[in-house]
This record gives sequence, C-alpha cells and structure tokens, in this order.
Amino acid sequence: MNKAQIASQGALPKKRKQRRVSLDRKKARAGWFFVLPFALGFVLVYLPLIIESIVSSFFTVTVKAADVITGTPASYRLQAAGLSHYQEALFENSDFVQNLITGMQQLIIDIPAIIIFSLFMAVILNQKMMGRAVFRAIFFIPVIISTGIVAQVDNMTTELSNQTSGESSIQTGNQASGSSASQLISAADVSSLFSSMMVGSELVTYVVNLVNNIYGIVNRSGVQMLIFLAGLQSISPAIYESCSIDGATAWETFWKITFPMISPMILVNAVYTVIDSFTSQSNTLMNFINNAFITEGNSVATAMAWIYFVIVILIVAVVGGILSAFIFYQRREG
Amino acid sequence: MTNDTQNATRVTKETKNKIRVEFERTSLWERMKIKYLSLRFLGRVVFVIFRVVLLLGISYIILYPFITKIAGSFMSPEDFADVTVKLISRNPTLDTYKAIIEYNHYFDAALTTLGVSLVSALAQMIACCVIAYGFAKYKFKGSKFLFFCVVFTMVVPHQTIKSALSLKFRYFDIGVYNFGIIKLFTGGQSLNLLDTYWPMVILSLTGLAFKNGLYIFMLRQFFKGIPDSLEESAYIDGSGVFRTFVQIILPLSVPMLITVFLFAFSWQWTDNFYVSIFFPGREQYVFTKILTVPAPFREAVNQAGGSLFNQAIMNTCAIMIILPLVVVYLFCQRFLIQGIERSGITGE
Repeated sequence: MNKAQIASQGALPKKRKQRRVSLDRKKARAGWFFVLPFALGFVLVYLPLIIESIVSSFFTVTVKAADVITGTPASYRLQAAGLSHYQEALFENSDFVQNLITGMQQLIIDIPAIIIFSLFMAVILNQKMMGRAVFRAIFFIPVIISTGIVAQVDNMTTELSNQTSGESSIQTGNQASGSSASQLISAADVSSLFSSMMVGSELVTYVVNLVNNIYGIVNRSGVQMLIFLAGLQSISPAIYESCSIDGATAWETFWKITFPMISPMILVNAVYTVIDSFTSQSNTLMNFINNAFITEGNSVATAMAWIYFVIVILIVAVVGGILSAFIFYQRREG
Repeated sequence: MTNDTQNATRVTKETKNKIRVEFERTSLWERMKIKYLSLRFLGRVVFVIFRVVLLLGISYIILYPFITKIAGSFMSPEDFADVTVKLISRNPTLDTYKAIIEYNHYFDAALTTLGVSLVSALAQMIACCVIAYGFAKYKFKGSKFLFFCVVFTMVVPHQTIKSALSLKFRYFDIGVYNFGIIKLFTGGQSLNLLDTYWPMVILSLTGLAFKNGLYIFMLRQFFKGIPDSLEESAYIDGSGVFRTFVQIILPLSVPMLITVFLFAFSWQWTDNFYVSIFFPGREQYVFTKILTVPAPFREAVNQAGGSLFNQAIMNTCAIMIILPLVVVYLFCQRFLIQGIERSGITGE
C-alpha cells in the first residue's frame, strides 16, 4: 500500500492506475518465484507420490523387474482391487481396529496432559532463577535426541525385555529402555493414594496412566515447551506491571493475563501435538502399520495408513474447531 | 519554579533522613524478623523449594535412561548374569564399543550420515528460507492454497507414502507411472537414485523432507515480524527484490537460519525413516544398519540371560549414534532455544 503510493508519487494521475497494477503483478511474480521450489516439488514429486499411494491402496501393484536380455525396462502392472484392501484392513484384520481404538484412547489421555505439562513447565522455566540455562538445556534434550533411531532402539529393547520378562525380572530395572523410567514411580502407590480419597475411578485410572506415561509425556513436550516459551516472552511486561499495581495476586495474574494471552499458542500446540503424536514412531499404531508393510503387503498397509490419515484430519479439525472458539486474540479487541 | 524544585529536594532529603533514622533505631534482629518471618516470605520459600524439586525430578526422569544406557554400555556379559550388579559394573570393559566400531562399520555409517545430514540440512535451510520468505511477504493468487499444501505435507503420515517413495526413487522419473519426461530422453530407461544422496537432496531442495513444514512455518512467522518499511526503503534506494532479500533480509535472519540448520541437521542425523528407504543396498552403511549384535557376541547373546546383554548392545549403539549430536548440542543449544524465542510463533 505504502509502496504503491510512494512509487506513484510524481507520476501523472492518469498513469497511476496502470503503475499500481504492474507493481502488484511484479510483486506477485516475485512471490511465485520464491515459493517456486516448493510448488514444483509439490506438483512433480509429492503429488505423484500421494496419487500413487492412493492408487496402490485401490489396486494391487506388481513390479516387473527390468529384463537385461530382452532389454525391456522395468514396469508396473496394476490390478483393480476396488475397496477390497480397505475391507481387509477394517473387517478381516481384527488387530487393526483394535489398535486404532487403543491408539485413540491413548491420544485422548496424552494430549491434555502434554499441553498442560508443557505450559506449566514453560511458565516455570520462564521465571528468573539460578541455573535456568542448565534446566532449559536439559529439558530440550529430548527434542533433539529422542526421535527417530533412538526411539527405534527403545522400542527394540522394550520388545526384548518383554520377551524375556520372566527370565530375570529383577534385573530389568537395571537396564535402560524407554519404559524403565516408569518404574521410577510405582503406580501402586499412586492408586492407593487415590483410592483412599473419594474420587471417581475414571480419574484414578487417568492419573495412574499419566504417571506410568510420565517419561513419554516429558519426552514429547519439548517442542511445545519451546512454543509456549516463545509466546510467554512476547507478552509485554507493561501488562504485568499494571496488574501488580492494581494489586493482583500471582494466581489472578496467571488466569487473567497469561492464560488469555497464550491461548493462541494452545491451539497451535494442540494441533502440533495431535499431528506429532500421530506420526511419531513411538505411536503403537504407526508401528503396527510399519509391520503391516511386511506382514500384509504394501496395498493393505497403505489402505490402513490412509484410513488412519482421514481420522487424524478429522481429529485435527475437531480439536481446532473446539479450541478456536475459546481463543482470545489481542488484535481483535484493540 | 526554582523554589518548587528546592522544596522538593528538601522534602526528599527530610524523608530520606527520617527513614535512615528509623532504620538505625530498629535493631538487626527486629529487621530480620520483619523481613523473614512474614507469611509472604514463607510462601516464597515454599514455592522456590517446590520449583527446584520439580525441576530436578523431571531432569532426573529425562536423564535417567541415558545414565543407565551409559552404565550398561561398560558392562561385560558376566555383569548381566550377576544379580547384585546395579548401574556400576564389576568388570568394566570397553569391548562393546570396540566391537561395534570394528564389526558394525560404525565409522562408515557415521561418515555417510554426516554427509547426508550436512548436505540435506544445508539444502533444507536454503529452500525453507526462500519458500518462507515468499509466503511471508508476498500476496499472490494461490498463496493461501499453497500454504495449505505445506500444512498438508506436515499432516500426512510418512508411512502412507513409504512404498511410493521407495518406488519413486528406484524408478525415478518426473511423471506418474509409466509416463515420464526422463524416459523420453533416455529411451525408456528411468533412473535409479537409491543408494545415492539425490533423493534426500531433491526432497530437501523442494521443502518436502522431514519436518520441513515446521521450518517453513517458523521462518514465515519470523519474516512476518520484520517490518515492511525495511524492504520499502531498500526498494526506494533502487534495490531489486532479490538483492533486497540477499543483502537486507538474510543478514538479519542469520540466528534463525542457524536454528533451522541445527534442527534439520540433528533430526536428519537421528532419522531412520528416509535413510532406511533410500539406502537399501549393502555398500552404503547408515545407522539403521549398525543396529545388530556384533559377530563376537552372537553366542553370548543366545545364552540364558543374554537378552539383557543384547539390550545393552543396542543401547550402546544408540549412545554411539547420539554422541556426536550431544557434543553439537552442548555447544549450540543456546541457538536452538533463542532462535525459537525470537521467531515469536503466534497462532493465526
């Protein structure tokens, strides 16, 4: 806007309209140039992949290797299979639906826990104290290290220890694996504590699950913590100052100032958490689909992955829709 | 005017003197009592203790698996048979490390991974920076839709396109199924790009590799925070769009670019998904292939109680894989944390 005005200063009024259009066009062209790598890659590499993946879930693909003697190149052969792969995934393979349901339940437990935990830790790590830099460094170790191959190793060792849990149960605690951290805190203590209090059994199982999962939750809330920290530091100190002058307590300040100001970040984190926990390797369903590529063949496994994807999209839409109703945007008010 | 200021200074002087006199009249004991025996101070102390305990506890949860992994890596097979051994080995040995280096081609794998990580992290940094700048600063037809596509690539689980990815780069061509541009030139032959760096380079340069959507999102937020007037003044001085980008915007965003580079490098280093698809052959060693029991330990693993030893070997592999990364992290974690803070990601 500004630029258009500046550019047209000194030009005749007649010419102004023409110049503005050409500048816009120039800008649009520059914009396209910058995003060209992604646009090209998306159309030429990613889209064919997606199409092939969808097609391969509807067809049975057989790859014919290149024949050196006759000189025929390698080629694909497609055989229409209709919805049979999907049927197989949903109805014939009983494990898939089972895993899908437990996966969803796990997610419903984990997402609120991860968001609350990471918000809480971000607020604490944002305060001035001794050794803040050290604690921050420790808290963000999982972001860098506990992904990919390390998660794979953890899965492998957990499997190994499950296979031989009867063999020498005393020493399993000695050994490192992702699940070993949960042995730090005995879940039995927590459940006895809660059963002596008069609260609903759902809450007890929820908390017990959380305590058992603490290692996973801590590990998976690294990026969320970073995003919350970024959000907390973007809140103007002037607001806090005026709040304390008005005599608000820390508790009131948190709920009246920090929480509304950070609510957009809660949406971002909720969506990120859903996506991240759905696509992470520690996800049981992801592992199941990974194994299905070997046990069931590509087509059925791809069909499973697509069913899974549709559910992920639905959940992201629902979570986003619910949360965006409660979000406070500073700009809209001011 | 002057009278007023003189009055004011006189008053403040008097008050100051008053405060000083009162301060000196109260004994040290009284002063301490007022300061430290209040409910407010007590609450503060309780809170600080609670905070330190909580932070230490969670740090312990994060570090505990690494400590046990490191402890286990120095144990010999006899230690695993001994029930009384906890954490500290009776017969400490470096055999596990030696065997992994010698029989599992650790250094070959590290070298390949270093190459792949450096090349693709550099490509991802450049590509994501350019793409994000286009999204942040220019309004053009289809920009919203394209950004939706970026989010789409983030949401699709990798497993969905796993088989398609390996087929794509085994029979690489630009096109779908049996039609392709490269085939037109080579007379029906497609390229086999597996076991080379090319698949990673292609994916990185187009912003499609691991978590690139996140980087584009981060950088876009960062570029949006840079005021437009900066570019406008450059335009007025006669600088073109690309010169402005290279000479004005890039120098400003160096810390952010370092952050993205570090993320890309470390996530590529520990990546096992793309690497296992793109390097299926025997010649190129990558980290996913060294996760086996080294030849001299095969017997010990199959004996009774050997599964613990097997686990320890796997964990030692993991330690050796992340060791270079930990060194990098110790020096660069400042950039990671500051970079994210500076990006000011906001939910829109």
